[in-house]
Amino acid sequence: MRNLLILALFGAVTSIPSGFGQTGYTPGEFQAANANYPVRNPFYFEGRIDWDLLKITQPSNAWEFAQRGIHEQDDLLDTSAAIADYKTSVSMNNLQDRSCQLITAAPTGFGQKIDPPPCMFTVRLRLGNLVKASDPTTALQMFDEVLTIDPLRLGVNTLIGETYSALGDNASNSGDQEEFYREAVAAYEAELALSPVTDLSIKLTGDEANNAHVHWALAGLYDKLGETKNEVTELDLYLKATKWHSDTYPWRIQIAQGRMQKLMASSVHNR
Amino acid sequence: MRNCPLLWLSLSFLPAVIQPLVAQTATSSPTDGTFNNQPYQPPENCLPCHQRQYDELRSAVKSGYRNASPLQNGLELSANFLNGGLLRPVYADSQIVLPDGTKLNTNMFTTPSFTEIRQVQAGFCLSCHNPHIERMGDDPTRRVFPALDGVGTAFQPESIRPLRDYMMINSSGQQVLPSEIGGMPPAGATRSLAGAGITCDVCHNIGGADLNRSFQQDGFANMSLSLNHSLEKVGPFSFPVLPKGGFHVASNDQAKISLLRSAALCNSCHDVRVPLGNEGPGDLQHYEHDMNPGGQNVTYFRLENLSTEWQTGAYNSTTENPFGQVVRCQDCHMSQFPYAGDSTYQVGDMTVTSPTPAVFFTNYAAVPGVSTDGNYPLYKRSVVNHHFTGVDVPLLYPNELSAYLDPGYPDPNGTGTDEYGIPLGLEARREALLKAAIRINLDKSDKTFALGQPFTVRAEAIALTGHRFPAGFSQERTTYIQMQVTDDNGLVLYQSGYVVDKPHLETGELSPDGNLNDEDLEHIHAVVDPGKHVDRATGAPYVTGQGNNGHTNQVFELGPDDGPDARVYAGTTEGLVLFRNELDRIYLPGQSLGRTDANGEPVIAKQPHYEETFSAAFANSVDNYRSLRPLTPRTFLYTITLPTQAELQEMGVSSIKAPLHIHAQVNYEHFPPLFIRFLARTTGENGPAGHDMHLLTEQRLDDLVKNIQSLTSADVTVSVKE
Repeated sequence: MRNLLILALFGAVTSIPSGFGQTGYTPGEFQAANANYPVRNPFYFEGRIDWDLLKITQPSNAWEFAQRGIHEQDDLLDTSAAIADYKTSVSMNNLQDRSCQLITAAPTGFGQKIDPPPCMFTVRLRLGNLVKASDPTTALQMFDEVLTIDPLRLGVNTLIGETYSALGDNASNSGDQEEFYREAVAAYEAELALSPVTDLSIKLTGDEANNAHVHWALAGLYDKLGETKNEVTELDLYLKATKWHSDTYPWRIQIAQGRMQKLMASSVHNR
Repeated sequence: MRNCPLLWLSLSFLPAVIQPLVAQTATSSPTDGTFNNQPYQPPENCLPCHQRQYDELRSAVKSGYRNASPLQNGLELSANFLNGGLLRPVYADSQIVLPDGTKLNTNMFTTPSFTEIRQVQAGFCLSCHNPHIERMGDDPTRRVFPALDGVGTAFQPESIRPLRDYMMINSSGQQVLPSEIGGMPPAGATRSLAGAGITCDVCHNIGGADLNRSFQQDGFANMSLSLNHSLEKVGPFSFPVLPKGGFHVASNDQAKISLLRSAALCNSCHDVRVPLGNEGPGDLQHYEHDMNPGGQNVTYFRLENLSTEWQTGAYNSTTENPFGQVVRCQDCHMSQFPYAGDSTYQVGDMTVTSPTPAVFFTNYAAVPGVSTDGNYPLYKRSVVNHHFTGVDVPLLYPNELSAYLDPGYPDPNGTGTDEYGIPLGLEARREALLKAAIRINLDKSDKTFALGQPFTVRAEAIALTGHRFPAGFSQERTTYIQMQVTDDNGLVLYQSGYVVDKPHLETGELSPDGNLNDEDLEHIHAVVDPGKHVDRATGAPYVTGQGNNGHTNQVFELGPDDGPDARVYAGTTEGLVLFRNELDRIYLPGQSLGRTDANGEPVIAKQPHYEETFSAAFANSVDNYRSLRPLTPRTFLYTITLPTQAELQEMGVSSIKAPLHIHAQVNYEHFPPLFIRFLARTTGENGPAGHDMHLLTEQRLDDLVKNIQSLTSADVTVSVKE
């Protein structure tokens, strides 16, 4: 009988709900109800959040429009809607009308309730990248603004280079074409300058070149500009940059080797 | 009293109305005074009655290994180099007075409620990894980890020891230190209670969630848990049997029992929030501060966010997951999961088969005939497993595991299974757990291709974990898609998520070593500055911060597989898909990035500059949204341009042979090699201490870091466009 009673009690235990054992707070809900919880600042953070975690249906500020645009672009694959929301976001976080500000100093107490909020780079990069083929003027403006916001940001100059390169490919006359290609070269060179190969970097990594894709693009541009010597230089740097890192398109390495040999042989022959 | 939940609750809320004191009174008393005190017991004392639990727990990384871990010790040291020893604990007898006149005599675990950043920093790592030991330290006679003689500008990096140096005792129970800082334990020394890490007595002594020490007053993060040290041991069962000889009393407190059985138990340490203070960039990130009265200056960012992710995720629901019940931490990490059969279910447009959680085996909770007086009968019932399998494996050699833990320490690579079919080896359990975590498919990819034209691969991935995946120290847990497109002859047309065998000059590996486990991914190339030792005149101040102590990126450049940042910030559709979250340093105007430009001039931020950093101690922001949400499929696009016919000819290839084969798999590495190399250098002979701390080396990385390939995979073929 005693054993049966114990078993019955054990049975009762197993039916105890496995939820939280404490009353008085529910994690998550309690946070939202706490008056001391900071209101989300109008900038929040650069990057992408899962849209539905925001639990809002209608964006109300530049950051929220940017986030809905990201949701539309990444999750719904609706680039038209994304572009519209990005444009709204940029209009509300605008360098020209000073609805956003460039942060150029960080005095004591910096960062609390910045008004107007800082200018955002994510939304500009997203918008520029989406419209760089259809509206290169807007794209270039966006990329330039990103470099105004964060001049040290990697990859932005490459996007500018790609935009100018495409403009060159589609140019209607050779003068414009060369000008666009020159702009592209300048942008790619600016990209390289942001992460230069230095004595220290060589000592630490053994890499004699980096930014393989930039050198590949530059080699292509110099080919189009007919500047063989520069093309050879860039192909050589591309090969050095891929020596320990390969490439997402590994067949380019074989092509670069072939082109270099061919160009150098041609150069010797012409000499 | 112990059976009066209302009174218990009212007591637990009481400190909320107490105003901060100039000097804090440590919370070193048990929260419930009904039971007699009992010193914290070494796990060996629990063994006779709980053999199975003991055997399972001792191979869990949080029990023992974590505290001896060279990586954990290196991480803690590197942060102390940066801030001048502030992460070491202080105790009740501390004479430190902060600039505002506040006396700093409590640490992260013993501070009743936080008003100062330094209270959070003091004992920051130990508070979760050794909370009971930290509290014992208020009694100088029982102190294991000494407070440093000097911190900040008075810090002496030359004399700081790794925490694990303090975790060994001799046969008399006296603490013994390695003769050399960071050296192997002295001969004959054995692991102390501190060396046992999270023991039985930590979880089974719980008093309740400590809302006042959690930054959001919710019992999440930073060891916001009250621990007793009494005879009352909290188990999962009501009306338990009295243990033999009154060794302890099995609690019948329903609040405590329910806490032990719930995910809330784990919340207190599986969210980690890092104090920021003046390092914080304010509105340039997700700004948060301690919401408790007086806590407005305690700003922080979320390093580990695992518990919050579970709390807001689909498994914390009876309707939003396929199992129709709340699936708790215990249901995967303390059950037969993933060795108890599979379930098949639909999530979005994906049909998923994965191991079933919340299946528990039946056994005795205590050993019959040993654990009760008078051989009082025990019954088999549904019980939990104490393996706590996670994603780490020890980075210690077998002789080190023996020396730091015990000679019979279970071989992490051991074979065989227990009576429930669960592998005895941690490595096998880890791999199985990880393989249950994620699924991928490529079904939405383009079905045809044409030369010289772009085509799109669509990789749909879903996390099946209770939290996001990866989780925990998710900014290091490197989970990514390796993807390759080949033609029918095997010609590689595109690759992402690949690694290349290469030299690592910074740690002395002068040529490729044939090992791919020690290679970083190719989206960025980074080398983190280890800092340097500075000879100071006697009494000269230690200079904290990045100048001499590194943590900045000496090398930071985009690689050919640039994808993670480009996808997030620019919305590009190429390059690496990386589920690892990202630690960031937002350099404010005037701050140095720690490297030079082509002219040798320091690169100084003129405006806020965001850059990935690999040191949690140096980060001041974090992006925790790169990991996959549980049960929420995401599709990642790769827009791939195929070579033209002319380019094929340049390669000497007549044409691409159809069909194309697309293979994608998800791989996992628990730490990025570049992060391990940073720790190796900063704790090495040229680091701030000026001598080798014997923690990490290139050799250890080569020998012990094993990545897991293909947690899940998918293949499709693509035919030529007509």
